[in-house]
Amino acid sequence: MMETNTSQSFSSDDGVYDCDSDSESFVEDSLDDELCFASGDFPKLQFRKERSKVWWIEELGMAEVLEKKGKMWITTGISRNGKTYCSIEETLYLAEIGALDVLNVDDTPLLLSDLYAKLAEDREKYGCSWESFEVYRCLKYLGYIVGRHGVAWSMKNMKNKTNADDSVGESCSITDKGNVDYGFITDMFNNMHLGGTRPIFDVFPPNSKFRKSSSGDPSFMVCRASGHPPSRQEIEDIETCCGRIPLKLYVVEHGRVSFLSFTKVELPALP
Amino acid sequence: MAPRWKGETAEAKEPMSVIVSKLQTSLIESNAQGLLSGCAVLLEALPEQTELLYRACIGRPLITAEKDKKQWHQLSFEEALYLCCVLKCIKIAGENKCAKSNDELWHYMMVKRVGFPVMFKAYSHLRRKNWVVRAGSQYGVDYVAYRYHPAFVHSEYAVLALPDDEDGGSENSRLKVWSDFHCTLRLCGSVAKTLLVLHISRNGEDDVVSLSSLEHYSVEERVVTRWNPEVSRDAK
Repeated sequence: MMETNTSQSFSSDDGVYDCDSDSESFVEDSLDDELCFASGDFPKLQFRKERSKVWWIEELGMAEVLEKKGKMWITTGISRNGKTYCSIEETLYLAEIGALDVLNVDDTPLLLSDLYAKLAEDREKYGCSWESFEVYRCLKYLGYIVGRHGVAWSMKNMKNKTNADDSVGESCSITDKGNVDYGFITDMFNNMHLGGTRPIFDVFPPNSKFRKSSSGDPSFMVCRASGHPPSRQEIEDIETCCGRIPLKLYVVEHGRVSFLSFTKVELPALP
Repeated sequence: MAPRWKGETAEAKEPMSVIVSKLQTSLIESNAQGLLSGCAVLLEALPEQTELLYRACIGRPLITAEKDKKQWHQLSFEEALYLCCVLKCIKIAGENKCAKSNDELWHYMMVKRVGFPVMFKAYSHLRRKNWVVRAGSQYGVDYVAYRYHPAFVHSEYAVLALPDDEDGGSENSRLKVWSDFHCTLRLCGSVAKTLLVLHISRNGEDDVVSLSSLEHYSVEERVVTRWNPEVSRDAK
């Protein structure tokens, strides 16, 4: 009598498992975005009617806000000396959703293609790659508040200051366009170590009471994973970097963003 | 598994080769140029090209508020390189807006993505046969292959591209222990796809891979399935 184990069923609290995968009911390609180009991975996009205005300042690698329209400025841009500045990802995101007119300092328009070009190749001239921008955009669509890691929302926000920041306030004196001292740009770019796993963004939950002057700690930090999955040591190193703030690693493949957590646990000993 | 059509069969639709050919012509005529950015290539397309890119299942559209009729698309390295170097219908430029040579592109992509030569060989092998090939990361595989546009047919194959063992393919190590097989087969079964492994062999080509040396690589297609003797007993 031949014994076959191939179609054994295991009962457990979770139900019956059938070893034979052919008989399993299958999941339709429910996330198949091939079929819904219009909505893609994102919720229905609400394009803005009113456009704010910024100057892209090349030496700074940021945009200076000239005219603000809409409440999004509560959670976008950093405040320095009474002005607001946007990173490349903030600028590009707002331009994509039609909320921003971006100009060169000579008032000629900067098109979306020009902004995309700023993320070109792998240069990360302004501290953000195409993939990091995809992550930024993904979280922004869902309502999260996202800031560049290690960059204070405003100088009044004491908690996020690093050692370098104490001198930043004084060194940042912006008089007029022709005579500027952008000392604070070191904030944006001094965290750039090329390659490896590093925190890129600080993420705060959607919150209408968010204030740049007292943002509090982020709910989590988002780190870029390098080409290979991280080793245990790499994870530990990056955790040290993030302190007590939880971290998530992101992987972007073919436009699809995945977030992974590697959380240390201690299983209880059971009786 | 037999192909599963949704609605009418593909015979009523234009063959994929024709769609791709129309796309190729249109892109050449408009001197299309893509922008290399990180691990993607961005392409601004005319309305007819957007339609053809959709029908050929190449790239993903970017959702923007641009009022202009042109639409931005994001292409993966494989898709972009296929259009640029195989179909020869787009150029790809970097930051300086100058078109890069095939070798420059190849080198850039190889550095950015582990195991890219094998992946690209697999992608172009299937596309040349007019299969629709899309990213498979959400199913834990390299690609998913469809007989036609996914709107009309369920995907048949979950594809893994593996370098031959003699080539010391440690870079792209998958299916190395039995639990890998069980895991992948289980996942494929749950989403009604058959596991297709493409064994890519260097055929003695040099270690340093160039785009032209890829021509001499060979691809062997093998399907991995689990056979259940109980189910098959009464059938043929």
